[in-house]
Amino acid sequence: MSNTASPGSTAPLIDAETLSGAADTLPPLDSPEVVAMHRRMRRRANRGRIVTYAAAFAIAAWILLPIYFMFSMAFTTQETVRSYPKNILPFIPFSIDTMTFFLESEGVLRGLWNSILVASITLVLSTLISVPAGYAIARYLFRGRDLFRLSVLTVRAFPIVVLSIPLAVLFLRAGVFDSLWSLALMHTALALPTSILVISSVFASVPYELEEAGQVFGATPLQSFRHIIVPLVLPGIAASGLFTFVLSWNEVFAAAVLTIDNRTLPALLLTSLANAPDEFQFAGSFFLMIPSIVFMFFIRRYLFNMWGQVSK
Amino acid sequence: MTRAKTWRRRLVPYLLIAPAVVYLALFFAYPMYEGLVLAIYDDDALLPVRGSPALGSDEVAKIPQGTALAVLDRQSLEMADDGATDLLTDEWFRVAGTGAGGVAVEGWVPETRVRVREQDTSGAPQAGTVRPRLGQSVDPLTVVHAEPNDRSAVVGRLEQRAPVTISEVAVLEVWFLVQPAADAASAAGWAPSRYLQVFDDGESGRVHRGTAGEFTTAFIERMVDDRFFGPALRTTLLVMALLIPVQFVLALIMALVIHSRIRLSSGFLYAFSLPIGMSDLAAGILFFSIFTGNGLLNSILDGLGIIDGPFAFLTAENTNWIIFAIVLAELWRATSIVMVILVAGLQAIPDETLEAAELFGASYQQRVRHIILPLLRPSIQVALILRTILAFQVFAVVIALSGGDVVTVLANESFRQYFDLRNNNVASAYALFILLLSIASAVFYLRSVRAESEVRAT
Repeated sequence: MSNTASPGSTAPLIDAETLSGAADTLPPLDSPEVVAMHRRMRRRANRGRIVTYAAAFAIAAWILLPIYFMFSMAFTTQETVRSYPKNILPFIPFSIDTMTFFLESEGVLRGLWNSILVASITLVLSTLISVPAGYAIARYLFRGRDLFRLSVLTVRAFPIVVLSIPLAVLFLRAGVFDSLWSLALMHTALALPTSILVISSVFASVPYELEEAGQVFGATPLQSFRHIIVPLVLPGIAASGLFTFVLSWNEVFAAAVLTIDNRTLPALLLTSLANAPDEFQFAGSFFLMIPSIVFMFFIRRYLFNMWGQVSK
Repeated sequence: MTRAKTWRRRLVPYLLIAPAVVYLALFFAYPMYEGLVLAIYDDDALLPVRGSPALGSDEVAKIPQGTALAVLDRQSLEMADDGATDLLTDEWFRVAGTGAGGVAVEGWVPETRVRVREQDTSGAPQAGTVRPRLGQSVDPLTVVHAEPNDRSAVVGRLEQRAPVTISEVAVLEVWFLVQPAADAASAAGWAPSRYLQVFDDGESGRVHRGTAGEFTTAFIERMVDDRFFGPALRTTLLVMALLIPVQFVLALIMALVIHSRIRLSSGFLYAFSLPIGMSDLAAGILFFSIFTGNGLLNSILDGLGIIDGPFAFLTAENTNWIIFAIVLAELWRATSIVMVILVAGLQAIPDETLEAAELFGASYQQRVRHIILPLLRPSIQVALILRTILAFQVFAVVIALSGGDVVTVLANESFRQYFDLRNNNVASAYALFILLLSIASAVFYLRSVRAESEVRAT
């Protein structure tokens, strides 16, 4: 009787005794009971799948529709942006009117360029520093390794706000205030912990045996690193670099605190929120979103490397 | 040889992490320390006053900044040309001429005693005449000193209107002999004018700023007394309380959807993780475009006939709606990170465990409740800590949706103190407060989860 227990029953009815004799007492696979059970399970699985798909599409809509609306506001006429009531979503007229207005506003092109510069410097600096550190964590057992890992983890969780103001005061004292370089230095400090952890997990995912094998076949350690490891880890390092770029591109608090004339795009947007017209803000946030929308496509596989390993 | 090699090999990892350690020490640990100092240490709290008007002389007392002073005496002294501003100066001329009695005199007189008649091309005085002294009781002669200083030896006297050549100009800073006005018994001491504010009567003043630091709670008190402090703290906590439970439920649903390996799941993963790379400012503007007067929400509600004309969601009368919009924007933006952490946790749960549960007849809800959630506990803990710390930093979303005045949060107050009020110390006090709240909440989560698992073990 144990093997006909319906899937819905509450208590598991199998005990050790019946299990041991289960093979003899199992009904043939085409018996009516088994067929009925299979049908019930399939029906339940189907119902479950429908619910899953419904949830998936609903959540995707919740995330994508606002982006879509924002983009259609960034690419329409200024009159449409100000009009009320607006036509509902797909019927917003397309135009590059808002976009040209935004790009021709004072300081915008320079802000975009500043953002690109700061994000690029941050990318290069943080990659240069975090590749060796990530390699060390992944490949060497050394005294202080756990301490280093733990401090990097702690540093990542620290609030940006706490760091920006004293850094601004220090930069002011050192006479490098309001410079793109000092902002990039700050962004590197913010990106470094994540970058180190991601890159170490990328290195850890390449077995050390591969490196050893290269050396067995006569390559020097450096050669085997260059020809075996580098091609394997390059995509992961590129993903971490892209993430760093996006982080710097988005960062607004430190950018607003550390710059005055050399505003990056987010800092410019933030400080002009109060007096800029809506279409300026909408077109600006389009530019804020573009890198992440493009880059997230390439780095989505590495997301779990980035955030997953914290829990281990 | 081999020993040297092992040594070198042992050094390798340290060399590899050295740049990161140095960088984080320089741009992370040091500013952190500085921030702490800014919040609790007042650089110019105390002004040391000296026994005689000279920088090297002994300090007789320290007077706190802002103390009202009685000014007892003044004297000018040579000063270093350090570009300091806010100071009172006297000019002295080195003059040569024929003094009273026909003897040649060379020495220093105050600039006030000479009328300049000739200047060179750069404007430096070259020659002049001694000004007459008015009044009958005063000595009509002008005293010439050995040094540009009232108290130095007298080397001669000049008749009024005597012509002199000017060879040198000295700019001197005035020092004052001061004493706290409220306490006539306390020691009087000398201090340079740059640290003092002397009132027009020349007899009273106050300490403008000090040179010696002091640990102080003044900045923290000013933060707590600030009229925005209470609202900021309340809103921060309110947003957090409303946001985090909803966020975790939604993130769990998203993670389960991704983990169920349905078709298109790579596409869904892309869509679900899009907000991870979104700036908080962009998310704020996004929801501003929805909630603003002529925005999407009003258009839809109006189109459906639910409202008649636009409803002003984001105005000072409707702070609850602003907070609601902030919570929605944060839910939109920051749920994906939680999802990723939870998916990573889900991937670590062995399939066999779930299959076994299914075989034993556990329904989906039962599997989630009794197997998935307990096994996800470490991931949830990490995500909770991360989210709570991030929630204390909510900033740009609030500015985009409320302008930062009607509804305010702690990070915004730190920014206001720094940016609008130029008060680095109070801004740092806010930052320190945010840091303490973050640490406290992390410790709270770590403790409470451990306590639960201990209860479970017994």
